[in-house]
Amino acid sequence: MLFRKLLRDLWVNRIQFISIFLMSFLGIWIFVGINAESTGGFLAAAKYYDRCNLADLWLNGEGFSEEEAKQIEKLQGVNQVERRLSLDGDIELNGVKHSMETIFTEKNEISQIDLLEGEEFEENKDGFWMEEYFAKANHLAIGDTATIRLKGTDMTGIIRGYIRHPEHAYYLTAEETVMPNYANYGYVICSIRQYPFEQLIYNQILVDTQTQTDAEMRNLKNRIKKQIDRESVVVTDRDQNESYATFDAEMKQHEAMGMMFSIVFLLIAVLGIVTTMTRMTANQRIQIGTLKALGFSKRVITFHYVSYGFFISLVGSIMGAVVGYYTMPDIIFGAFKGAYIIPDLAPAVSAESITAIILAVVVSTFVSFMACRKELNDPPAITLKPAVPKKMVHTALEKSSVWLKMSFSTQWNLRDILRNKVRTLMGVVGVCGCMMLMIGALGCYDSIFGMMNWMYDDLMTARTKILMAPEADYYTTQDYANKFRGQMIQESAIEFMTDDKRKTGTLTVLDTGNYMHYQGVNLESIRLSDRGISMTQKMADSLSVKCGDYVQWHIVGEDEWERTRVTALYRDPSVQGITMYRQTFEHLEHTFRPTAVLTNKTAPDSLVDKDEIQTVMSIQDMRQAFAASMEMMNIMIAMMIAGAVILGVVVLYNLGVLSFVEKTREIATLKVLGFKSSKIRGILLKQNFWITTLGVLVGVPIGNLLLVGICQTLPDTMDLIPIVSFGSYVWSIIGTFAVSIGVNLILSAKVNTINMVDALKGVE
Amino acid sequence: MNPLIEFQNVSKEYQRGDRTFFALKDANLTIYEGEMVVILGPSGAGKSTLLNLLGGMDFATSGKIMFDDQDLTTFSDNQLTEYRAKNVGVVFQFYNLIPTLTAYENVALMKDIEKDTLDPKEALASVGLADHMHQFPAQLSGGEQQRTSIARALAKNPRLLLCDEPTGALDTETGRDVLVLLQKMSKERKKTVIMVTHNSFFADIADRVIRVKNGGIQSIVENESPISANEVSW
Repeated sequence: MLFRKLLRDLWVNRIQFISIFLMSFLGIWIFVGINAESTGGFLAAAKYYDRCNLADLWLNGEGFSEEEAKQIEKLQGVNQVERRLSLDGDIELNGVKHSMETIFTEKNEISQIDLLEGEEFEENKDGFWMEEYFAKANHLAIGDTATIRLKGTDMTGIIRGYIRHPEHAYYLTAEETVMPNYANYGYVICSIRQYPFEQLIYNQILVDTQTQTDAEMRNLKNRIKKQIDRESVVVTDRDQNESYATFDAEMKQHEAMGMMFSIVFLLIAVLGIVTTMTRMTANQRIQIGTLKALGFSKRVITFHYVSYGFFISLVGSIMGAVVGYYTMPDIIFGAFKGAYIIPDLAPAVSAESITAIILAVVVSTFVSFMACRKELNDPPAITLKPAVPKKMVHTALEKSSVWLKMSFSTQWNLRDILRNKVRTLMGVVGVCGCMMLMIGALGCYDSIFGMMNWMYDDLMTARTKILMAPEADYYTTQDYANKFRGQMIQESAIEFMTDDKRKTGTLTVLDTGNYMHYQGVNLESIRLSDRGISMTQKMADSLSVKCGDYVQWHIVGEDEWERTRVTALYRDPSVQGITMYRQTFEHLEHTFRPTAVLTNKTAPDSLVDKDEIQTVMSIQDMRQAFAASMEMMNIMIAMMIAGAVILGVVVLYNLGVLSFVEKTREIATLKVLGFKSSKIRGILLKQNFWITTLGVLVGVPIGNLLLVGICQTLPDTMDLIPIVSFGSYVWSIIGTFAVSIGVNLILSAKVNTINMVDALKGVE
Repeated sequence: MNPLIEFQNVSKEYQRGDRTFFALKDANLTIYEGEMVVILGPSGAGKSTLLNLLGGMDFATSGKIMFDDQDLTTFSDNQLTEYRAKNVGVVFQFYNLIPTLTAYENVALMKDIEKDTLDPKEALASVGLADHMHQFPAQLSGGEQQRTSIARALAKNPRLLLCDEPTGALDTETGRDVLVLLQKMSKERKKTVIMVTHNSFFADIADRVIRVKNGGIQSIVENESPISANEVSW
């Protein structure tokens, strides 16, 4: 029968319990959903890497001999070693050139090909095994003949199969530096026996190790470095591998974001349980006394009251977990399908998810226990009597002279707030969460558009960028530059090398002209120095390079390494690398080969058809392409705004009902005294207004922190400056107040429904 | 007649501020099995304290309360709970029904504590509420609520039925019905019924009348010929 009482009490207090349910549901939904996604992602990747025996260490250098490979194989902790040769090539399809990394491999026992369709790879077979997405997007069928240009020589072969490769779960090229677009570039793998040139110079050694721990791995790396004591050899592990590390970091970012949002919702669920259960046990004090007098044991009664928090949070959490598990991973996997090539992505249950559910239920249950404990300790004779009213101690404020100058409604609301601190806190937290999410969401939008304006208004002021075809020679390009009064620039992919890192980036070489502008670390306008090179801050950070240091780099496809001094740092939103003037570049004994012309004139449409022109991009095109690549961001923004509204409505409605029920007698008294309903509603609205204002004020800095956090979770290649525009502040405040006032208007309509006589009847 | 409960120099002290005062002082009394006892006294005299101690709902400060050769004052919280569950039925002035349970469910609630209970339907029928079993307390009149409360107390088949001003919130007519019911329980079912009231007219229906004043027992008078509750008026 107590269970029936439980069900009926839940029904009577359904508004509160539904909101507690929703909060635990949402908190666990987000947490378990994102956790299932990231755990599933980790698992799928681990399985994939394991199945294909992804290398543990990579050695990059020039001319690895068989002797060296054998020496490494002998080292303790090494399982297997394989030499490989990787070259940057390109493939021309319908007049458009696409980067095509070409990997010549031996037996392919380490970092194995994952064959999707076609023939198995064998060392004595000719032809190419091509990345599936690129091949399909460009209508290259198995059996077709493809021609790849390597070091100026064409290499022709039959496409033997569609593949995936575990080192290419995520990869970028010089052309696509913001978001991957695997339709534009790809890779092929072929047998080392197909190598078209005379001299076979292996430039990679893959190492498969037995070692597991970080310390052992560091130790092994050191031993390998000692073994192959050459300056230009870099040993990298999985964490330094772009594909591996980017996916790993992405999953970890998801986890962190999930944690952040869940905490807000669960905190509110717990606060909701505190207020609801405290109020309910206080209201049922006499019932508790009666049950005790009837002979119910303390254990049974405690169990009964604890059940409310327990069942609500249990049902909420489990439903949240189930719904989260089946919805969230699909949404996120779907959103990043284009960025990561990892097979068999599926949600997975993690220990963290189970811990989160247990924790949510245990905390809720414990909080319910604390709420009813007070009523249970006294003997029934005491509990049967109404509670001794709390001593109304006058607060310092009420004693001050300011108090007397306040209006009645201010005094009334202040007292109410001071005496219901938990309830007030819950309201502030709810509003603050709503505001925080709104600022975070709108701030993301601002920051991305800010980045776009930064990129295309401040840093590059040309209206058109004419991209030259690779076969266009210097003089042709110069003609175009003269004709359009433009500035020639060269953009090439380069590779940096430090003691323990290898990273790709972009080299920009500027000819005379004034279309490119540069900003320093603090976004102040700077002029690049004539001597040395200037590096983007993000690149400098990831290479751990400071201004004044020397860096080693080479243009991808060329063999000689340069060692130059970094003389300035600048910032760029999407292209990370180095920039120098043409004179500096030529001084380093390089030939200036302009790849693009920047101009303020509008290029005629017919220009694209010319052989020497690859494409013509207007600023408008570039902006649109950029915005389109931010789809994932839009999903997140929409989710955050929806979360903000749900959070605000649920918390404030719950809070409103709660305080309204508690104030029924007071409101009835005011009515009897002759206050008009509208006047009473005004008094109630005032408190709501205060709480909303306070929540908004606290929400602004927290929202900014959230935005900074989100910006930091972006890939290495993006330098996003967190910006919240004035308009976004205004909209967030309007949105938050709209939610708050809307809820309050619905609630305060209840003032009219209070029946004075009923409300004031004796408390029994 | 066998003695059921015996108070030996029982006192109950309260601390209010730095002053100690007695809600009950050196009370000595014996209650016999099957009798109907009325405890009379003005408000604040100590009647409720006496009732609470009888029902194991409060702790005595000193003295002994003997029940079946066991001293209730030495009982732990759990033992007292068990004592209440097995032996005591309580009828409150304001009925104290669980508002979210129907009359039937309020009575059936007792099954959660004691396996050996009366059938809730029978218990309700015996108080004349067979027709209102599935109504919520708010849908019942005061008298009906009080009768439900009596049915609930009886359901456990307790040896002791404690009633705290059972007619206090009722009008004369319904109040008399309740008294008739209680007297019937004592006479026909041989329950020990102890009723606390400030209404001295009720003394006439009791087998024994205990008068309380200022925390002390003023007198204990045996009533040679108690009248039927039907005849009492106030």
